[in-house]
Amino acid sequence: MTIDRARFATGMSYDAFKGQMTRNRERLEENERRVEIRPEDLAAFRDLPRPLHVLVLAEDWCGDVIANLPVLARLSEQSGKLDVRILLRDQSDDVMEQYLNQGKYKSIPVFVFLDERFREVGHWIERPASVTELRAKRRREIFASDPAFGSPDAPVDQLPEDVRARLQEELAQMREETTAFANGEVIRELRELVTRVAA
Amino acid sequence: MTAHKVKITYCAECGYEPQTLDLAKALMLEFGARLGSIELIPWEGGTFDVSVDGELVHSMNREGGFPEHDAVKRAVRARLS
Repeated sequence: MTIDRARFATGMSYDAFKGQMTRNRERLEENERRVEIRPEDLAAFRDLPRPLHVLVLAEDWCGDVIANLPVLARLSEQSGKLDVRILLRDQSDDVMEQYLNQGKYKSIPVFVFLDERFREVGHWIERPASVTELRAKRRREIFASDPAFGSPDAPVDQLPEDVRARLQEELAQMREETTAFANGEVIRELRELVTRVAA
Repeated sequence: MTAHKVKITYCAECGYEPQTLDLAKALMLEFGARLGSIELIPWEGGTFDVSVDGELVHSMNREGGFPEHDAVKRAVRARLS
């Protein structure tokens, strides 16, 4: 199904999405507060010749949605150039089927950028590859830092509970430390996408 | 008598709780007190691993996808007998 004005209009506003969340709202709003947009990035969005519609596929249980949707929301709020509407992935197969990651995975969030006539001008899925790579590298380093953690590919249920708790703490800290980089990469990729459109 | 242990490690960030609870319930109903424990371990990174008495019988990374309940039940039954 093509996304048209009527389908777009069935989406929720960002505030309505937050209002129906059954979990992770605190994390989402904390991430929202932590998004820092550089003036030159904001200018690139503000200088778009025309506003863009952005249709989002999301769910409140997804870590990548909780991390990356607030970045889009802040860009929308501060630039005034992105009209965001959100569909729940699990109720929107017609749209999801068009944006499968690598043609097979229902990865979210999906951001579909549409012009004033609802023609797609580009889309963005899940998270930047640079973020996946950095976190995989940092994860390997964490495992290498302590023989008690074993192999990064081994099942963690074999680890003693105290070791598992320590590992979980280190992984959470790593995600925390890489958040600013991750937000910056999301902004960079979205900026590249919309400015390519405007060119 | 050996207390047989099942551990289900699931990605909490990915929203795999329904599949985790469904599998745990299926095992509870099938084996009752013949299982010593069913441990649910919230994890990250797209994990859905099931081990029985320390042996990995399903891994989302290895096999892809969620396990068939019957396959896990067979693995448990093999250790009970």
